[in-house]
Amino acid sequence: MLNYTDILVGNYDRMLRGTPTVTFDYLVKQLPTATAFINKKYEVVYVSDRWINDFDFTRKEVIGRTLKDVFGEVTREWEKVLKDCLKGISHEVSLHQHTDEFGNHRWFEWTNTPWYDEKENIIGVILQTEDVTYRIRTEIQAKKLENLLDSKSEITNIGSWEYDVERKHLTWCEITKKLHEVVPTYEPNIDTAINFYKEGYSRNAIALAVDKAIQDGVPYEVNCQIITAKGNEITVITTGKPIFKKGKLIGLIGTFRDITPSLEHEKKAKRQERHFKSIFNSSYQFTGILDTQGTFLEINETALTFSGLKEEDVIGKKFWDAYWWPIPDYVKDGLKQVVKTAAEGEFMRSEIVVLDKDKNPIPVDFSIKPIYDENKKIFSLLAEGRMIKEMVAARRKLKESEQKFRALYELSPISYILSDFDTGEILDFNTSFEQTTGYTRKSLGSLKVQDILVTGSKTQLLRIRKEIESNQAFGPEEQQYIKKDGTKFPVLVSGSLVGNKKGRKLLWSTAQDISESKQSEARLREEKKLLRTLIDNLPLNVFIKDLESNKVLVNKAELDYVGLKEEDVIGKNDYDFYDEESAEISRKEDLEVMRSRKPMLRKETISVKKDGSMTSFLTSKIPLMDEEKKVKGLIGISLDISDLKQKEEELHDLINVTSVQNKKLVNFAHIVSHNLRSHTANFSMLLDFLVSETDVEEKNRIIKMLMEASDNLLETLENLNEVVAISTNINLDKKPVNLYEKIRAVEQNLTAYLKNNNALIINDVDEDLMIKAVPAYAESILMNFITNAIKYKNPMRKPVVRLSAERKDEYTVLSIKDNGLGIDLKEHGEKLFGMYKTFHKNPEARGIGLYITKNQVEAMNGKITVESAVGKGTTFKIFFNEQN
Amino acid sequence: MSKIKSVCIIDDDPITVFGIKKMLSMLDLAEDIKTYVNGKEAIDDISKMVDSGETIPQVIFLDINMPIMDGWQFLEKFLDLNVEGKVRINIVTSSIDAYDRQQWERFKGLTSHLIDFKNKPIRKNDILEITRVA
Repeated sequence: MLNYTDILVGNYDRMLRGTPTVTFDYLVKQLPTATAFINKKYEVVYVSDRWINDFDFTRKEVIGRTLKDVFGEVTREWEKVLKDCLKGISHEVSLHQHTDEFGNHRWFEWTNTPWYDEKENIIGVILQTEDVTYRIRTEIQAKKLENLLDSKSEITNIGSWEYDVERKHLTWCEITKKLHEVVPTYEPNIDTAINFYKEGYSRNAIALAVDKAIQDGVPYEVNCQIITAKGNEITVITTGKPIFKKGKLIGLIGTFRDITPSLEHEKKAKRQERHFKSIFNSSYQFTGILDTQGTFLEINETALTFSGLKEEDVIGKKFWDAYWWPIPDYVKDGLKQVVKTAAEGEFMRSEIVVLDKDKNPIPVDFSIKPIYDENKKIFSLLAEGRMIKEMVAARRKLKESEQKFRALYELSPISYILSDFDTGEILDFNTSFEQTTGYTRKSLGSLKVQDILVTGSKTQLLRIRKEIESNQAFGPEEQQYIKKDGTKFPVLVSGSLVGNKKGRKLLWSTAQDISESKQSEARLREEKKLLRTLIDNLPLNVFIKDLESNKVLVNKAELDYVGLKEEDVIGKNDYDFYDEESAEISRKEDLEVMRSRKPMLRKETISVKKDGSMTSFLTSKIPLMDEEKKVKGLIGISLDISDLKQKEEELHDLINVTSVQNKKLVNFAHIVSHNLRSHTANFSMLLDFLVSETDVEEKNRIIKMLMEASDNLLETLENLNEVVAISTNINLDKKPVNLYEKIRAVEQNLTAYLKNNNALIINDVDEDLMIKAVPAYAESILMNFITNAIKYKNPMRKPVVRLSAERKDEYTVLSIKDNGLGIDLKEHGEKLFGMYKTFHKNPEARGIGLYITKNQVEAMNGKITVESAVGKGTTFKIFFNEQN
Repeated sequence: MSKIKSVCIIDDDPITVFGIKKMLSMLDLAEDIKTYVNGKEAIDDISKMVDSGETIPQVIFLDINMPIMDGWQFLEKFLDLNVEGKVRINIVTSSIDAYDRQQWERFKGLTSHLIDFKNKPIRKNDILEITRVA
């Protein structure tokens, strides 16, 4: 039995093989698929409304009509298929185009199957069709798109993909597969495709985008990373676009583009740009890039800082409009021309002056250089400026110094000669050379160094040559030049070698005419000699000392004085010649003179040499100044005044002697007056008494006293006479006297006296000792001392007088030693040798002996000393002067 | 005028001593006259008197130039003695040496004793004048 289910599933065989009923007709009519039942005569028996609609046969009656009537024609192929069907042979689905009555082409998938009755007899053919026009059309479109994409992707390396929503089928083109690094046979599906996207942002983004595209039909373009089958990470841009059919989404198509290389390229470009910028901006030079029309494309910070401008003030402006040109129009035109020329491929360079931000003109070394692209086409210009303030200043200086040199060269009193070192040819000389030699510049070209040089020995010339070759210079040394007129003159020559560009060795020589200096040198020598002679013959010691008091110059007198040769004195100081003290004093004087700059004049100094000899000088020290009035030492002049000094001392001595004598005389006068007065006073008094005396006895006594006084007066006069005799005969002739013999003689004379006193004389004097003395005085002196010694003997002892003598300096000293009473020298020392001074209670003491003795010794330039101890004895020492 | 108890003459010249003594006795001025031939003897004796509490001479005639101890040396020592009352000392000399006058001036300033200076010869009038108790 036929049921609805069979119909629904298209089990028409069973359905139709049943008994045809009215309901069958009705059922077919409602079939969801386009179906038509054809009998063996190819007449339409049953038909579904869908079929009528699909073929647009609504306005046609089809039931009962043949296929030929309905479709206009039945192709031979179709007829064959139909016939096969009637024979029970089924055919596969086939595609057919149908053109409707309005000329619209429609595509149908067409299935022909045999129509069996209940007895399995074929009674017709069942036609089933499906209108696939849209599908076909979409496929064609997709095919076209695919082709298009394929051809494009071959150039741009853009892959494509498509997704059939109905079939859930994803396809990748070859490039897409290549980009995913999968094998060409790889079949992706939507899940595996998504898994290629990098986990995280990329995968989420793409899933969301695809979902949105499928759900809402929104196209997308996503920039994200994928990890390829081989594990490489690439950055891609993937796009997707939904495709609709009759408002219904049927699929997605999209592209897949690897942008990793371009990203890297971009990074690299950015890095390079950064590098370029930093170099460009930090350059010391002003740098700008212009297009070929002279418009600023770039300018570096150095230039901006220099000009005080901002980038936007400059970029886009014309090069010649930049404010820093101190510009009149013609300069502008010049700059335009420069830019133009550079744009044509020339490298332009010149020095110009520009203004800095404070409008100061600054010299700049400026250049414009064309820049070529890879096709050797000029696409921009590089403008550079370098501040050359220093260079310009240096050049100006160079110029100045060159001018100076020129002036010097021409005006110098020294001759300059430029010659070829190898040939000796003279190439140039200055005015001074002309004036001194008489040659003029006309002779240049023919004149050689050999012509003007008095040839010395060959060895000399060779030596100079060698010196030049090793030192590139020679001199200064003396040579002789010959003037044009043949006269010779001495010159001081020095030279130095310079090379010129062609490798020629040139010799610059300077020659100074020293004829005059030679003469003045001689004059100077003469003067020096004269001066030397003068100071050497001065009866003065002359020396010059430097700041350290070292002797720089000494004259002959000074040398004679120190007893050394000049070379042993120069450079030495006073410490080397004199004892420490003298040297110290002298150094102090030197320092004071040099410090105060005031001369020390005629100062009496004493120099003690190392050997102890002493010399008195009258010394002057005068500070010595150099040309800048700075003290550089001192000049010393000493006059040996030792002789004068000695004379002065002698004079002094003489004065002393004289004053002593004088004193003595005054003293003597007093003595005389005192003594005479005392006697005369006595006379006067006694006479007074006598006149008024009446008593005879008393008178006689007074007369006796007068006679005594008279005797005393007489004696006094005699004594005085004696003293006067000694004092007036100061220059008595002294003779050699044998002291021993003299003592013997005195002893002889005193024999009786000595015997009476039981006295002993011991004569210890050397028998050969001679003294210089006035013989009479010597005798008197001996007599006096010996008798004194006995006169003042110690009553408890036998008087012993011992005489001995010794030499001491210029004296012979006679010692007379007794063992007598002794004298209290403290009490009486002063008066011991005074006149009429007595010290013992001895009635014989007259107070005249020692006084006379002293006078006699002094008259012979001697002296007397005394040592004594009371109760023990006295020793007198008589100094006989052996010299005068 | 009352007599002076004790006068002393120090001089080595016997004539001078004789003269002064004679004049003193002629004028009857002194009860006792002592004489010494030099300063030493005089000072020794006077020192003894001072020590034993005896009355020392009220007037002294003093010569300068004497042996052993001269007048100045004597004066030096005398002024050191612890003497009660004023003594009149008459220096009698024939010296005209300025030095001696200077010495006199010096000694005058050193003591409260009265010191006088007279050149020889001495006359009776002088004696009368200078032989008074100081």
